[in-house]
Amino acid sequence: MADPFDPAHYVPEAAAAVGLTIAPADLGDVTQAFAVLARVAAQLMAIPLPEETVAAAVFIPDDGAGR
Amino acid sequence: MTRRTARELASAVRARQRTATAVVEETLAAIAARNGAINAFTAVAKERALAAAAAVDAAVGAGRDPGPLAGVPFAVKNLYDVAGLPTIAGSHIDRDRAPAAEDAALARRLTAAGAVLVGALNMDEYAFGFSTENTHHGPTRNPHDPARIAGGSSGGSAAAVAAGLVPLTLGSDTNGSIRVPAALCGVFGLRPTIGRLSRAGMRLFAASLDVGGPLARTAGDLALAYDAMQGPDPADPACASKPPEPTLPLLARGVEGLRIAVAAGYYASQGAPEAFAAVERVASALGASERVELPSPGAARGAAMIMTSVEGAELHFQDLIARAQDFDPKTRARFLAGALAPGVWYAHAQRVRRWYCREMAKTFANVDVVLAPATPYPGFPIGQAWIEIAGQRLPAAGHLGVFTQPLSFAGLPTVAAPVADCGPLPLGVQIIAAPWREDLVLRTAAAAEALGAVASPSPV
Repeated sequence: MADPFDPAHYVPEAAAAVGLTIAPADLGDVTQAFAVLARVAAQLMAIPLPEETVAAAVFIPDDGAGR
Repeated sequence: MTRRTARELASAVRARQRTATAVVEETLAAIAARNGAINAFTAVAKERALAAAAAVDAAVGAGRDPGPLAGVPFAVKNLYDVAGLPTIAGSHIDRDRAPAAEDAALARRLTAAGAVLVGALNMDEYAFGFSTENTHHGPTRNPHDPARIAGGSSGGSAAAVAAGLVPLTLGSDTNGSIRVPAALCGVFGLRPTIGRLSRAGMRLFAASLDVGGPLARTAGDLALAYDAMQGPDPADPACASKPPEPTLPLLARGVEGLRIAVAAGYYASQGAPEAFAAVERVASALGASERVELPSPGAARGAAMIMTSVEGAELHFQDLIARAQDFDPKTRARFLAGALAPGVWYAHAQRVRRWYCREMAKTFANVDVVLAPATPYPGFPIGQAWIEIAGQRLPAAGHLGVFTQPLSFAGLPTVAAPVADCGPLPLGVQIIAAPWREDLVLRTAAAAEALGAVASPSPV
């Protein structure tokens, strides 16, 4: 089975699935850019975090005072 | 053209030694004569600038307080709303956008303090870059060597100040977009704590990381502008409800009693020797000999890349589907790649951020200020794609953020200051403190400036 994060395999499949058209001339650059993300993501996902470490983004309910 | 500071100009206008109209006319003439060589401005707002200057002069004439920035010309990165102009954010796609109805919040606050908006400035498309090699609007050129990049993404903001066209500009910083061009152009830039300044009326790139901030030729001018822009704003849900904490009155306190350390390890490798030597000179002048290892910079940078790519792609997703070919070829592939990133990467990056910030807080329990290089090397020739550092072939523009990205990921306030005596090509030092301590980074920058260790060089 192919590695799902083999960029050359994943990029055209995922693009088609979400409705993105990648021009043939761009496919190499997009694959390369995605490979960079995949490489750093692999290192990131290897960092073990306890479940109680919550996301840094904090949701503040909007009371309508802003625009 | 003058290289007078914002403080000097405001002082002269307030004291009736010069009129705001004369200052603005001189500025408009300088832009007309010299912008072509550096391509910093994408729009000049001549009529409104002259009208605003006349209003400042009328206030002075009537004995009213014209504000602390009376008559100071300033310009904004073209992702800030400017009433009457489409907010293009460096793009071609948005050139037909409806003109903004009013100025962005930070521009309004500067204007309320007497400053006069004179135009909008070039940038990387949608702020996704470190070099301002914008295909649609042309590259912004470094005033110290027009064959080289100005840095980015706030390249126009840095180059306009470095060239002496205006004393003050606004940029935005997601991963280093104020600090990188400030360093490469030899000016001061402040990235405030995330949440300190309102982002209302700015087109964002990655909302988890974006902040607006000033660029200028002295630390005092940064503080003057920053103080005028502070304060909560309900129009920006991410703006903290903190009252203004003025920094200008604190600048003269110097660094006595502050524990200042130099970032070691990661921040002392992956760059050219002159970038580290520049930091050492500033450290020596400030009497900082302690070394500190900041936590997990590689993980922080990686997480920032994931968050930036995903949030940026989401903002522009409909255009990526409908008209990807209209994006700048410099950004298109990276936006498309970000649109394909699995959600678990993003969610994990947000959790890594929480852990990382707590680790970073431990560092600032023991030191007040940390020094690090702003960039790994000076500005490279426009068009250069790759660079070799310590035997490694690296993307020349992408690697410029190696020292800025991990710090903004923690939301830390940071001044990028131009190191004195770097030769023909400027280099910068980052002066970093704990969240909400803009006072410390500005004080340290002012102290280093007083010692002659940092100074904004005039282009030859």
